[in-house]
Amino acid sequence: MAGHDDSGASEKKSSEAINDLPTFNAENMQNNMRVIYYSRTFMSIIGGFIAGIWGFTSLMGFIFYFLIMAITSVGLTAKAGFTIHSYFDSWNRIILDGFLGGLMSFVLFWTFSYDIVHIF
Amino acid sequence: MGTGFVIGVLGVLILSHAAYSTIQYRALLKITEEEFSGPPINVIYLFPMEFFVVLELIFGLILCVWAALTVPGKFLSILPDSDENRVVALSDNMDFMMFNHRGRAFPSEINMKLKSL
Repeated sequence: MAGHDDSGASEKKSSEAINDLPTFNAENMQNNMRVIYYSRTFMSIIGGFIAGIWGFTSLMGFIFYFLIMAITSVGLTAKAGFTIHSYFDSWNRIILDGFLGGLMSFVLFWTFSYDIVHIF
Repeated sequence: MGTGFVIGVLGVLILSHAAYSTIQYRALLKITEEEFSGPPINVIYLFPMEFFVVLELIFGLILCVWAALTVPGKFLSILPDSDENRVVALSDNMDFMMFNHRGRAFPSEINMKLKSL
């Protein structure tokens, strides 16, 4: 039994590591990722619309896109109450995920609104 | 969800109005044959409405950010031991579930806490 206890004690660290594997509710995790995706997509579209109205060209437009994405990241962090460990498994999810996914939508609506406002 | 949606629609309407104002401003510039450097913020002496366009853009952006954060839905907790993730009922296929397996040989956290006492 002593040997069993020793192996149990040394196994404590590895089993704690095993127990520390992300055991989370995957369905809620998916729901949270979907919320982030919708938010970022909508903000990309709105950001593109504003960039076209404002008359941004070339580099300024892309800088504006990253600014919009940074604002969205801050907003999502605030929405999660700054305690993201109860909603996500890592910081990268809420800060970096989907950062470049909205770039195409942004450029589409940017050129669209720029054409409408400034060219036609 | 309802009010967030209304705020989002309001933000888009304000942005559309800003776009329309900018179109009119550009038509004015074409008449006076000047260059377009930005939305009317440097023509403050002309109309107070022109400076209004930039304010409209920023205000519309704020409204749309608010709508983007509230409309898609709330964040749900992913921790298995939070109050809203309680398993209150087992699933129906109890005939296919067995509990007499090797998992009971693993030291659970309750056993470790008891042993450390």
